[in-house]
Amino acid sequence: MTDQAHLERGYRRLLAWYPRAFRDEHGPEILAVLMACVPDGQRRPGLAESADLIRSGLWMRLRPSVPRSARTVRAAVQFICAGAAVSTVSLIIVLAVIVDIRVRHAVLGHRLIAAQVSQVNTSVIMQVIVSCLVPVAVWLWMARANGRGRNWARILFTVLFGLTTLTLAGVIPPPVINIASSAVASNSIVPPSVITISVGPMVSMMPFIPGLGPVVPVLTGLVVPALAWLAGAAAMCLLWLPASNAFFRSQGSLQARRRAQRAELERIR
Amino acid sequence: MRAMQEATFLILTALASGAQHGYGIITDVQEISGGRVRLRPGTLYTALDRLRADELIVPDREEVVDGRLRRYYRLTPAGTTLLAAEAARLQAHAAAALRRLDLAGGTAT
Repeated sequence: MTDQAHLERGYRRLLAWYPRAFRDEHGPEILAVLMACVPDGQRRPGLAESADLIRSGLWMRLRPSVPRSARTVRAAVQFICAGAAVSTVSLIIVLAVIVDIRVRHAVLGHRLIAAQVSQVNTSVIMQVIVSCLVPVAVWLWMARANGRGRNWARILFTVLFGLTTLTLAGVIPPPVINIASSAVASNSIVPPSVITISVGPMVSMMPFIPGLGPVVPVLTGLVVPALAWLAGAAAMCLLWLPASNAFFRSQGSLQARRRAQRAELERIR
Repeated sequence: MRAMQEATFLILTALASGAQHGYGIITDVQEISGGRVRLRPGTLYTALDRLRADELIVPDREEVVDGRLRRYYRLTPAGTTLLAAEAARLQAHAAAALRRLDLAGGTAT
């Protein structure tokens, strides 16, 4: 294999970090530039060049691709990201609370054997963490999909937001995980801590644990859901403005065109 | 208006006098910046993609040279306007800096 062909293969491999649609459109062009930039006699991609390609490729995959002209959609995506941030804050609060529970058990000298404490707390921790991570993940997913102008994402976001609103308004019962920890209850040291977690899409109501004071329930039960709801409401309104419709429509036809192009390429091969 | 990043400013400047292809932009930017800014291809195409999404540049034409594809880009009217505004802003800042240095008896000539 010649040095040229060897080098080209190396660059092709690096271009795999880019999203497929981008590679289909710009791959040959970037390859030409890469090959032109290389000093003679080089056999493989340089370290800095490779890092730059990987970084750019990943960025292309992760960034929201909303043009500056679609101002309303940009703002909507920013609100959705704010929702993700709020959910992350609630996750952090919950983790702090969990640590606090562990400390309390130790400080108050509850006659739980160590195994019971760790057993109770581990199951609680797992469920709480998972139920807090789900909303964060859903927010981020929605930011990405809506930022790409996927119409289904706009619809799904609206449905999720509607369900959350109904849940908050008490029209439909929240999906609840009850953790009445038998170990604690049977020792009747602490009243059975019923931990209520909404696994609803955007809001996670936090554990109402007796004896922790009003701060945590107010923060996690009221402030966080309220902020999350406001961010969701703002994003939803922006997504359905006439100005946003144009963006979703143009992205839709762009995707259809790309699919057709790809099918055509496959056919030729 | 937010200040434009230097790389963006230089890319738009490279396209100001006519359409250029990727490698042409890289060498041109290097020349304009006196050899200080060397764009890497990954960075260049990330910037071009964003400029295209913002409708400041558009693909112009394609050529195949030595079996390799060259795609040319050119400024849109919006791109021209934005570059002109940014250049005027930078010039105003530079002029203000030089004026004040002069007043202070600085070494600016």
